[in-house]
Amino acid sequence: MSTKIIELGSHQLALEEPMYFRVQLEGDRVADLDVMPGQVHRGMEHLVMRRNLYQNITLLERLCSLCSNSHPSTFCAAVEDVAGIAIPERAEYLRAVADEIKRIASHLFCCAVQANVIGETTLFRRVMEIREIMQRAKEAIYGNRMDLAANVIGGVRYDLDADSAAYLAGRMEEMKKPLDELYLQYENNPAIMARTAGVGVLTREAAREWAVVGPVARACGIDYDVRKKSPYGAYDRLEFEVALQTAGDVRARNLVRLAEARQSVSLIEQCLDGLPAGPLCADTLPEIPAGEAIAKSEAPRGELMYYLRTDGSDFPVRLKWRVPSYMNWDALKVMLKGEPVANIPLIVNSIDPCIACTDR
Amino acid sequence: MAIHEPGSAAEPVGLFRINTGSCNGCDVELAVTSAVAEFDVEQLGCRYTESAHEADIVLVTGPLTVRAREEVLRLHAATPRDKVTVAVGVCPVSGGVFRDSYAVDGPLERHLPVDVNVPGCPPRPQALLEGIREALEIRRARREGSEPTRLPGDRKQPGKPGTDNFPARGRLSFDAAACVDCRMCRHVCAAGAIRFEERDESVRLTLWHNSCVFCGLCSHYCPTGALSVTGDWRLDHRATDAFRQIERGEVPYAPCAGCGEPIIPAAPQLLHAAFRRPNPEIEKLKNLCPTCRQRMSIGVPRR
Repeated sequence: MSTKIIELGSHQLALEEPMYFRVQLEGDRVADLDVMPGQVHRGMEHLVMRRNLYQNITLLERLCSLCSNSHPSTFCAAVEDVAGIAIPERAEYLRAVADEIKRIASHLFCCAVQANVIGETTLFRRVMEIREIMQRAKEAIYGNRMDLAANVIGGVRYDLDADSAAYLAGRMEEMKKPLDELYLQYENNPAIMARTAGVGVLTREAAREWAVVGPVARACGIDYDVRKKSPYGAYDRLEFEVALQTAGDVRARNLVRLAEARQSVSLIEQCLDGLPAGPLCADTLPEIPAGEAIAKSEAPRGELMYYLRTDGSDFPVRLKWRVPSYMNWDALKVMLKGEPVANIPLIVNSIDPCIACTDR
Repeated sequence: MAIHEPGSAAEPVGLFRINTGSCNGCDVELAVTSAVAEFDVEQLGCRYTESAHEADIVLVTGPLTVRAREEVLRLHAATPRDKVTVAVGVCPVSGGVFRDSYAVDGPLERHLPVDVNVPGCPPRPQALLEGIREALEIRRARREGSEPTRLPGDRKQPGKPGTDNFPARGRLSFDAAACVDCRMCRHVCAAGAIRFEERDESVRLTLWHNSCVFCGLCSHYCPTGALSVTGDWRLDHRATDAFRQIERGEVPYAPCAGCGEPIIPAAPQLLHAAFRRPNPEIEKLKNLCPTCRQRMSIGVPRR
């Protein structure tokens, strides 16, 4: 069998972000691959140390725009841990609302892109139109369709009054039917099944070995969701089931995402129903002492970890991340092995790789 | 025989995207303009292309990372000579929040000519369409050898009813009369968009819309409401006008009522924030320098 090496870039991979793969082929099947990262390396570790804790809220929101709320909220949680700040209950609920809105939009974007990759243009447009309901809701409530600017150290800086809460509840109602319908489509539509079922399989054992997280792990039957395993913020007061699948293929990953999007709708409704009265922020300008902390959250792509060290000044001494895509894209080696070249873009998109997060 | 001009119904104008290392916000919103009917670039007679040589308009996102530079320049060089280049978002223009990083090699204009800027972080799809419209106008004018007719600074908000009923976080506005020169805005601005200059008669604040990421943190922490977020998102402009996109105000010095030293008086908004209902005694404080204020309230200046 002939062996050759090809290089694929973002245009061939149908990715929004620049990423390059060196793929080793045997015949027309993938034998091995190398990810060549770094195109979106913006020197974030260097930048965060040159920006004070306030500036970092905005900077970190732009670490990646698809999970843009997870970054500042997890960062703020780390700062609050160092300073011993307990944020008001209302702020905990409002952070959860912001996170879940972003989760729905992020998951739908991933499912839409995959529909486009397999040539289901009508479905692609349909998913994007449904996602648009969330985009509009974000703009109406937060003033921006991607970067919500919801978090500050000690709480949040947006509020839901009776009007905006009712508006958001209306949008959630509007999402239910389309989300249920999309789940059935991705589950049963024969054309989609033909392209996604049994494709890009990651076994449960391999998933453990490669330490994948988020929907990629849950699609292999691994019951791991930070919101359940180590609840933060309001999540210990909210009810939901961890979305699980067992097949570990592209289809299973999408079903996990769509089930989670549907749960997010319910989580937002629970937040709106149980939204406690009270202040939005513990203290406008709290003193941040020297210390260190780790904060975790369940970002749309999986477990997101922040390590923060401070020295009593306004500037962090160290800020480190572990982002979910890092482990997930390493596992592409396993998912792609033996797959035909034509499936590469689909499988790559099925892990919802966030290059901005990973390259930083 | 009919000649098919690009831009006619027969041949749409080709849009080609280059990501120079963005956070993906602008790119995801550009994807919206190819997927969502209301914002589809088709309404402008455009379509997206995957090949550089079909590019009539090049849309560039991201701050231009060192790692991506070579490939970006190669792609841009492969586009036709008469294309129009649009910088999408503030990153290509100023670096946005990523400025001053060793890994960023912007601004884009140092490496290739840019025609239009579309500020925003990310710009909403309506703003993207306005930027593309501006690029189409430049393209038409170039082909006809005429001047583009659209006036710079044309800030008329376009909009079909129903598309624009939400207030987006847009341009920041500065009310110098409320400013007390505390500079908290500059302290919290991740993008370094705000500058204070001490002049002879006043302190001058300048905010550059091509650096601002419209997060509104300055306005959140401003104690007097001197900085506020407006709903004005129409900020697309010719790249040659990049440095005219500013908000500026002068906060004049006034002599201290006690010693005559020039000071920035406390704005009424600050007194209201601190005392809720200031009485005439408190009102007197606003025109005093710190030393005179301490002398008046506790008898001696604090050491």
